[in-house]
Amino acid sequence: MAGSVERAKRGLYSEWRLHALSVVSLAVAFVCLGAALLVVVNIHALKERWGRTGRASVYLKDGAPPQQVEAILVALQATPEVREVRYLSPADARGQVLSGNMTDSTLKALPQEAFPASIEIDVQPEVKEADVQAMVAKLQSLPAVEGIETYGTWTERLGTLLSGGTLAAAALAAIVFGAVLAVVASTMRLALTRRRTEVEVLKLVGASDSFVRTPYVLEGTFQGALGSAAAIAILGALFALVRSRMDGDLGSLLGLDPMFLPWFVALGMVGVGALLGALGGALGLRRLTTV
Amino acid sequence: MPPARPHEIARASLLSADALGGGRFRPFLRAGSRDPLRGGGDAQKKPVLVFDGVQKVYRGHSGTDLHVLRGVDLTIERGEFVFVTGPSGAGKSTMLKLVYRAETVDDGRILFCGRDVARLTDDSIPFLRRNLGIVFQDFKIVPNWTVYENVSIALEVIGLSSRLLRQRVNVALERVGLAGRGGDRAGVLSGGEQQRVAIARAIVGEPAMVLADEPTGNLDPALALDILGLFEEIHAEGTTVLFATHDRTLLDVRPRRIIVLDEGRVTDVPAGLGAYADEGIEIDAEDFTEGYGDVRVSSVAAPIPMRARARRAG
Repeated sequence: MAGSVERAKRGLYSEWRLHALSVVSLAVAFVCLGAALLVVVNIHALKERWGRTGRASVYLKDGAPPQQVEAILVALQATPEVREVRYLSPADARGQVLSGNMTDSTLKALPQEAFPASIEIDVQPEVKEADVQAMVAKLQSLPAVEGIETYGTWTERLGTLLSGGTLAAAALAAIVFGAVLAVVASTMRLALTRRRTEVEVLKLVGASDSFVRTPYVLEGTFQGALGSAAAIAILGALFALVRSRMDGDLGSLLGLDPMFLPWFVALGMVGVGALLGALGGALGLRRLTTV
Repeated sequence: MPPARPHEIARASLLSADALGGGRFRPFLRAGSRDPLRGGGDAQKKPVLVFDGVQKVYRGHSGTDLHVLRGVDLTIERGEFVFVTGPSGAGKSTMLKLVYRAETVDDGRILFCGRDVARLTDDSIPFLRRNLGIVFQDFKIVPNWTVYENVSIALEVIGLSSRLLRQRVNVALERVGLAGRGGDRAGVLSGGEQQRVAIARAIVGEPAMVLADEPTGNLDPALALDILGLFEEIHAEGTTVLFATHDRTLLDVRPRRIIVLDEGRVTDVPAGLGAYADEGIEIDAEDFTEGYGDVRVSSVAAPIPMRARARRAG
């Protein structure tokens, strides 16, 4: 094995331009895959966050008696499924909307009555959707309640988006895998052509196929791992750049800061890169020089 | 009943060994071992290579068959130095390729150390080649490797310890006159030196047989004689040498057994071309010219097939 590593090092050194070109090609392919994974990871996190929070807004009728509103608040606070309850007056609601849009004259011109009073409910994370719906049905029957928004439709939309994103990422991954295999196999074939004498010599002195192949597979592994690691580094730099320019309020509105690929996904990408590189190296040498 | 020909005797003695060996070539050279078949006594008389009715045909693009070897029978014993000669395209290289299984026979069999080379599985071919040293006209050394690396690779493939490897490579380099040159890049050496590296690689594993395929073809006459001398030294130490050449000057240096190949058939000249001359059989020296031209041995007793021209002197 030590001899194979030594020969792989010698091969990488002597054909460094060829290998560098291959690593760049692999990095570009893996950046595409990484970007798709990044989108999927963030949509997934958003869905988790929203789905887990279980929020609901109970909009109250204009002129709803304060006693009734107070009774609803007390009843909700006593409900074990509810984590937090707060009353939002029309003035509070207006202030909240305008806080992020101080320059919007149309919103500023709206009267306070345009913003209904509401009770904002945060449901416990472990509460099931069916229990939330049962609670909503009870609240809906109360005379002071105008309507209820559970945001379930938004979570569903995010779920659909996530499914589409996952599907797109899977398709992209398949394309990238194919591209990586082709790039590494081509590089290995090219290296084999340039090092034909070496392979011929090895075969003539009685080297087994595995003895001949191992350094090339190691070179492919190295290329794949380096290409994917470089892709993660590029993606990280681009992510940091985009994040620094992103409006902080967007994160607040979404309830989540954009996140980079988790370490295990990044590590997995390097592992997959190495594996694909090894496979590409082996495929590139399927037909060893016959001597 | 006519007496049995040497190859028939050899075939009979090798049959049992072949039957025992099966399809897999068992190397008798292990890491660090010496060739156990060298030395004196009966071992010296055993055939190392037997061609038994070997046929080789190449299919041309036009669909015509080119018969390179037509039922070749031949026996080479241990410790022999044999020239293989013949015109270009006569099948000298093919004959050697069949031995190291770069080509396969279409009919007949080739027994090397008692094993039928044609029956070896692909996995066994490396083991066969570890028992052969092969030298080519174009040297086949890796130019960006050092001299040492080019030679040591023959031992690396059998997993020899680095200490023993270093020791044996140094001995091999010394034998070919390249002592102290191990660190040089092979690509910067002269043609003669590169061929010496190739020879060192061929002998470092102490193979049962050295196959040389026109090893002097790319060298000037003086260097060619030099390289031939090297092969003679190797032979003097007990290694069997099969030396393919079309260089008439090399055949004349010393009386050696010569196998003449022409149009797929062989003529065995046991005592070299000079012996034929002594017996009054004339060799047409002009046929050896022009880059190597045709080798034509004239003999009534052993007629050269096809293109050979028989001319008895006097």
